[in-house]
Amino acid sequence: MNGRFAAVLPAALLAAALLVAGGAGAQSPDAVRIGVLADMSSLYADLGGPGSTVAVQMAVDDFGGSVLGKKIEVVSADHQNKPDVASSIARQWFDEKGVQMITDLTTSSVALAVQEVARADNKVILVNGAASSDLTGKACAPTSVHWTYDTVSLANGTGAAVVKAGGDSWFFITADYAFGHALERDTTAVVEANGGKVLGAVNVPLNTADFSSFLLQAQQSKAKIIGLANAGGDAINSIKQAAEFGIVAGGQKLAGLLVFVSDVHSLGLQTAQGLQLTEAFYWDQDDKTRAWSKRFFDKTHKEPTMVQAGNYSATMHYLEAVKAAGSLDSAAVIKELKSKPIDDFIIRNGHIHDDGSLVHDMYLYEVKKPTESTAEWDLYKLIATIPGDQAFKRPRGNECPAVKG
Amino acid sequence: MFSWLHIAMPPAPALFAQLLVGLINGSFYALLSLGLAIIFGLLNIINFAHGAQYMMGAFCAWFLLDWWGIGYWPALVIAPFAVGAVGIAIERLLLRRLAGLDHLYGLLLTFGLALVIEGLFRQRYGSSGLPYTIPAELIGGKNLGFMFLPVYRGWVVVFSLTVCLATWFVIERTRLGALLRAATENATLVQAFGIDVPRLVTLTYGAGVALAALAGVLAAPIYQVSPLMGANIIIVVFAVVVIGGMGSILGAIVSGFALGLIEGLTKVFYPEASNTIIFVIMALVLLVKPAGLFGRAA
Amino acid sequence: MPDLLAVDGLHAWYGESHVLHGVDFVVRQGELATLLGRNGAGKTTTLRAIMGIAGRRRGSVRFAGAELIGLPSNRIARMGVGYCPEERGVFASLSVEENLLLPPPVRPGGLSLDEIYTIFPNLLDRRRSQGTKLSGGEQQMLAIARILRTGATLLLLDEPTEGLAPVIVQQIGAVLRSLKERGFTMLLVEQNFRFAATVADRHYIVEHGRVIDAIDNAALAANEAKLHDYLGV
Repeated sequence: MNGRFAAVLPAALLAAALLVAGGAGAQSPDAVRIGVLADMSSLYADLGGPGSTVAVQMAVDDFGGSVLGKKIEVVSADHQNKPDVASSIARQWFDEKGVQMITDLTTSSVALAVQEVARADNKVILVNGAASSDLTGKACAPTSVHWTYDTVSLANGTGAAVVKAGGDSWFFITADYAFGHALERDTTAVVEANGGKVLGAVNVPLNTADFSSFLLQAQQSKAKIIGLANAGGDAINSIKQAAEFGIVAGGQKLAGLLVFVSDVHSLGLQTAQGLQLTEAFYWDQDDKTRAWSKRFFDKTHKEPTMVQAGNYSATMHYLEAVKAAGSLDSAAVIKELKSKPIDDFIIRNGHIHDDGSLVHDMYLYEVKKPTESTAEWDLYKLIATIPGDQAFKRPRGNECPAVKG
Repeated sequence: MFSWLHIAMPPAPALFAQLLVGLINGSFYALLSLGLAIIFGLLNIINFAHGAQYMMGAFCAWFLLDWWGIGYWPALVIAPFAVGAVGIAIERLLLRRLAGLDHLYGLLLTFGLALVIEGLFRQRYGSSGLPYTIPAELIGGKNLGFMFLPVYRGWVVVFSLTVCLATWFVIERTRLGALLRAATENATLVQAFGIDVPRLVTLTYGAGVALAALAGVLAAPIYQVSPLMGANIIIVVFAVVVIGGMGSILGAIVSGFALGLIEGLTKVFYPEASNTIIFVIMALVLLVKPAGLFGRAA
Repeated sequence: MPDLLAVDGLHAWYGESHVLHGVDFVVRQGELATLLGRNGAGKTTTLRAIMGIAGRRRGSVRFAGAELIGLPSNRIARMGVGYCPEERGVFASLSVEENLLLPPPVRPGGLSLDEIYTIFPNLLDRRRSQGTKLSGGEQQMLAIARILRTGATLLLLDEPTEGLAPVIVQQIGAVLRSLKERGFTMLLVEQNFRFAATVADRHYIVEHGRVIDAIDNAALAANEAKLHDYLGV
């Protein structure tokens, strides 16, 4: 269309991203900085995004605003789901802006890229948004913790439950990047370990609007279960269009392998009812989650997702570890984090393994029918609590050098 | 003799189904590229805000339903007029100032506008989108033997084809269309014949924007009504317009439907490439016919 | 006869370049006047400035008593001024008939389509053709014909004979004379003063963006030496 424009645009966008990354307001020279690196504007922005920044800021405020006598500052940036953009921002934050820890990190390809930057710079990252179990598998890093959930726990939650309920033949609609492939792989392992089989899969580019073609392929596979190894807007569109094409009416079932409360709210119960899904956190678990979620809701007008809540939990534990270690040194902080159980109202019965995975209880929920729901955000009913050791168990073992036997 | 082909081919009914689905997507491409082509033809502006205007059409339908209980059918008429009016304001206040400058200025201005509009909607409504249900009359589907065709998708194809043909007829076969074609060639002379060309330009931009909004209303029940829906589709639609030939009405319609079909086939045979195939075709067309398939060489 | 068009102290600029430096002349109701001059003298710019499609302009152009300076070209056309540009301006994407019907009627009294086809029978035969598929002469006929329908009373014709064969030039001359009989007032830009002499009542000589002389057609023979000097022929 226009050569000059095509050449200038990517550079301009990157420059804009870096400008935003730097624009954290007046910076005091001696502060502890926490970076929220998230998808602020695209298909994952509602499950993490600006809400994650709010959650991290809440943790900082609840912690008292300072640690080791230094003020705590929260900076945030939009990584646009682009690993190269994310790496540039992370490098700039670590090297020039004095950022000590980066959190959120939605999108697996982004988290894997930033994990390499953190490994090289020996900095802490606490991953909440990304799902790929490779972060604590073959790509595991000594100063990274995968906090809230991963593809293994999703597979052990939704995947195992579905197979046990008779869904023993699967067809995957998979987001064609690190996350989707990891989720498909880990779910396949769980399906096969439980005696099911996988009939096929189709790789769909990220951020696809129309899934009808892929749904028809899934329909023709005659698999009992169509596993959606995608997330955010992609999962929403798949579920919505599956209803339109009569997939469920035709006898096949959908397994949304990563569905967030924000997705269900967006879809509406009429479309989403009956979906089973695995979460690390739901706002309506008990009085503590409700009280915290209400504070979050007052700021954002949305109930928190497990990613946003996980950011709060991770930041809180990080700051406590810094305080206990009396140091910002990455190794000392990680050692401190790993030395104690992680157990708060968000992450329960948790402890951090040597591969960096935070093993904790997960929950299998089912989306309520419209008649069962009493309020706008009354969306889930609890089916089962999955103990950590069971939820994070890898049927095929772990390739992480730190734990490999 | 070609029996080896069948090994890699899905059964014929499955292929029909995929082609039909491709045609459905093609009808969105055709409607959107039609509006772009009309705008480019007369205003010489590459309207990068087209995706945002498509999104505004879908949101307009949602507002009508959520705020005033006005349903799909009235929205199909109201939203294009409402968003078209916004387009007219944009042309009057902003685009008019760029008349006679290089394409790049219009493109940058509308690109900036699109970012601002999408940013505002995202700020207010988030990124996961809002649900909009299929109108009661069009719920359900027909079993065609080779596939289950949702009635709504069938409606989308028939309706957009009708709109495309009607637009083509107006432009190629009526006096208003003759004025538009003449003004595209030589606006100064048309004005010297007594036509208020600036007003014609404003209304044309409004009409192009209205077409985008119409596509947005059609899309609302299929996709989530999301601030991002336009940004996702607009780049593809630009490629469609370039392939068809910038400013060519027939080119926009034919290549819109054709590329929907090709994309549909790609989703069967090599799904990973389904969102790049159109750009590959664009590159090939530009190499062989720089003015596009239906474009007149400048 | 009263003046239908009175141009007084007309200046015009294309961007930074000052092209007209105070043009003065009048065209009376029902007469055919020409602007003669060398290439680049400012004849075409004068027509365009009257029509309101030159760049910036200053001075006075009065048509039937009304001031045209400051009006957009579409308003000027609506007052009854028809324009036939030098490059003819036949639209390639329109058929011959669409080209003919394009300019909207601006006042009553225009020729009907039938009358136009009587005057230009070639256009009737080719009315379905694409406008630019016509021969040069036919395109010129078309460019003149389409402003006759509108009811315009003043026709601005920019070099209608340029590049045409002598037999076509003769035909155009005949057309212009018949238009004068029908009461049209015309302002004709010409380089070919021999042709101009066959149709015009009066000639204005344009040089360096000014009208430097006016010669009645009757006095043309007497002024031939002066004219040769002006035009360099």
